[in-house]
Amino acid sequence: MTDRAEPSLDAAAPAEMRRFAAIRAPFVRAPERARTLFLVTLGAACGPLLAGVALFGYHAAMVAALSVTGCIVAEQLYYRVTRAPALLGRSHACLTGVLLALTLPAFVPWYVPLVAAAFAIIVAKAVFGGVGHFLWQPALVGRLAVAVLFPVALTMPFPSHRNAWPVLARDKLLTGDVMNVRRVQNYKGWQKTPAPPGADALLLNQPTTILNGLMKPADPAFSALANLPSGPDVVPGAKPTALSQLPPISDLLYGGRPGSLGETCAVVIVIAGLYLVYRNYVKWQLPLAFLASACCVLAIAPICLAGPNQVTKTVWYPLVAEGLDVGFVYVSYQILSCELLLAAFFFATEMTSRPVTTGGQVIFGLGCGALAMLLKLYLDVPVPCFMAVLAMNTLTPAIDSIWRPRVFGCGWIRRRQPG
Amino acid sequence: MIFRRYGQFTGGIDLPDEKDATLESPIVPWRRIERLCVPLGRGASASAHLLVRPAQRVSAGEKIAASDAGGADVFAPLAGTVASLTKASVVTGEGLASVPAVELTDLSAPSPIMPLSPTFDWRSVSPQTLRGQIGGGGLTGPGSSPLPLEVWVRKAFGRKCRTLVLNAMENQPYVTADHRLLVEHGAEVIRGLAMLGTALQIRSVLLAADIRRIDDYREIIGPARMYGIERIALPHKYPIGLPPMLTKVLTRREMPPGGSVMDVGVVIVDVSTCFALYRWVVCGQPQTHRVATVAGERAPQCGNFWIPFGLACRTLVAGAQEPIICGGPMDAVRCGSAVATAATNAVLALDAPLPAPPGPCIRCGWCTDHCPARLNVAALNDAFELGLLQRARRLGARACVECGVCSYVCPARLPLTARVKQLKRTVGRVPTNRAALASMPKDQTGRGES
Repeated sequence: MTDRAEPSLDAAAPAEMRRFAAIRAPFVRAPERARTLFLVTLGAACGPLLAGVALFGYHAAMVAALSVTGCIVAEQLYYRVTRAPALLGRSHACLTGVLLALTLPAFVPWYVPLVAAAFAIIVAKAVFGGVGHFLWQPALVGRLAVAVLFPVALTMPFPSHRNAWPVLARDKLLTGDVMNVRRVQNYKGWQKTPAPPGADALLLNQPTTILNGLMKPADPAFSALANLPSGPDVVPGAKPTALSQLPPISDLLYGGRPGSLGETCAVVIVIAGLYLVYRNYVKWQLPLAFLASACCVLAIAPICLAGPNQVTKTVWYPLVAEGLDVGFVYVSYQILSCELLLAAFFFATEMTSRPVTTGGQVIFGLGCGALAMLLKLYLDVPVPCFMAVLAMNTLTPAIDSIWRPRVFGCGWIRRRQPG
Repeated sequence: MIFRRYGQFTGGIDLPDEKDATLESPIVPWRRIERLCVPLGRGASASAHLLVRPAQRVSAGEKIAASDAGGADVFAPLAGTVASLTKASVVTGEGLASVPAVELTDLSAPSPIMPLSPTFDWRSVSPQTLRGQIGGGGLTGPGSSPLPLEVWVRKAFGRKCRTLVLNAMENQPYVTADHRLLVEHGAEVIRGLAMLGTALQIRSVLLAADIRRIDDYREIIGPARMYGIERIALPHKYPIGLPPMLTKVLTRREMPPGGSVMDVGVVIVDVSTCFALYRWVVCGQPQTHRVATVAGERAPQCGNFWIPFGLACRTLVAGAQEPIICGGPMDAVRCGSAVATAATNAVLALDAPLPAPPGPCIRCGWCTDHCPARLNVAALNDAFELGLLQRARRLGARACVECGVCSYVCPARLPLTARVKQLKRTVGRVPTNRAALASMPKDQTGRGES
């Protein structure tokens, strides 16, 4: 079907009138265009990026530059080769590049962002038909590709220290070299630990690794039940705070923890996300549903604490198992120790790959949050929240066709056949 | 409380008001008119037979064409000479249409709205007599309906409607014609409304006005109270001025898809129809003029003008650049060579930029969020691009109220309203599979006896 032509103009119509023949009502338009929309989202995404540059130094800036350049070059190359018209090309490619950089750790070698960018633009976006047609969020596809292709480069920067990632010390912010690391003894939290002599960065265990270690005692140092009071003569009120090995929660809020470039600084992510909500580019229902369902799953999903000598203890309803205060701390740590906030505010809300209606977005958010936490708790997948978003992106067309708001003038019963 | 407050509907959007240029400008006659092409009817099907010959001298208000079936009488707006029988294009709901017209030249000077003395006591006659009096004055139905008013009134009476609403919302940008008419001739409008309520035997008569303008309507409160008309102030969220939305807000009933508000027992009239009705029935003055707003950034002279039917709209903004449009900017059509009719409430010369080429839909969902009919416009756009009529029908394309909000908000600049409108028309024409099967001859469906 094609747009119907306007009624034929008078034969003597001036040329100017013909130029305006394509304009149709409404003759006033809202000022926002697709390009502004991408650029504002890009600006919001620059918040976590700047936080990442501050926390991880110039390595982070290089990763971001490589990934943005890679995205733009890949986009230009694709459209040059296929001779397809590049619609909305560069602004969306920039956005994809910045979002991709947010998902990568700062210490990755130079080829990782380039490969991820190529996958994001060519495999996930251009092949599907460009903006408006892709099924999966392109930056996440790029991240998944490099997670599969370069598992060691992405998870083990220092082979001598398994599961330890670097973060700049508080007195070497922005200026330090994140690869110049040293492990510190008696770590008391990022805010209280100055840089060790001769080094810029602290080598720390990822909070996710510590939390996973509670369940899988591969490393006895992480054992949850190691100092668990047991036996009938437990002092009432003494709680087995296995979480005492974790850093203080303010570190997780400000970003003083190892992690990928954009995921660590929760405060900045939330502020940038709320700005997008304020601009109406993100509906508040989607991130809220994402976070709420993640919290609910964490509150009720049973976990199995493991200790030395094959001692295990299953905890049902972790929120209330040891009192609400311990449960609250547990849920907060789980939420803040992974890339959940970044996924909820920046990746699940990607317009093309989420459902269109508000109700559909709530379903999508609920599914994302639940799936992300189930993957995180029970399966050993890299970046579980991003994987959950990708999985729910697959279901987006189905959600869009299932969830239909009641059309004006049609009852709920006749919803299937409003015509 | 002088004006009652009422409810809301889902969707909609706050449009910029843009009415300051003409909000305070009183209605004046258009200065100097050299030529009129008075259209004989508003629809393509309407016809009328001519009562005048070329070169005949006619006086103002003289009947120049009598209605055949389905048309209204036509009167000469000004005194002049019949030059020829020509064609003129008029604005209809579908765009421009060409209708026969009478060209008048050598015209008398235009006059302002004359105060008229009542010659007919409408309150002493029965509703049936009153309904009979409505015909013959060249009146047409409200809005863009091309029906003559007496046919429209008969239809509304036959539906046994229970609510009559005067729609004074006028919530499109720039347009102030109804507002000025209500400010300056509010008492006559209210009497026309009350008369229509009596003719239709409707008890519940409402006046819906914009909450920002009600301070200007103090003059009409007395007459409205006298005739028992309930006054309601509504917020200005567009498209509350459309009949389906007004019905929803005032009565909580939803218009069925593809129907009209009369299907749910509501009659909606506009201000200029009530005004013309009063002047015809009570004072015997046929409808030959209407108030139109001339505005826009490029209009040489902004204001509210009392313009005769048949005046070429382009002359009102002579010298302005394209686009020149007829009607409120949300559902206007480009003016072309259209002439003024009873539906021409505004002629605007906007400073609209050249249209950017539409991009691909980025599925932002704003069209769906703001659609007052709660349609999934993005999915309808997919159905349009893929040519899937049955999917469009299932998505409820016929419920579209043609407000233009989806095109207004679309960041990809897609002509969504035009597309959904076209889907709506096509879906309305093509029967459903089941109806098509039922209407087929039996031997074709394979279930015949022989």
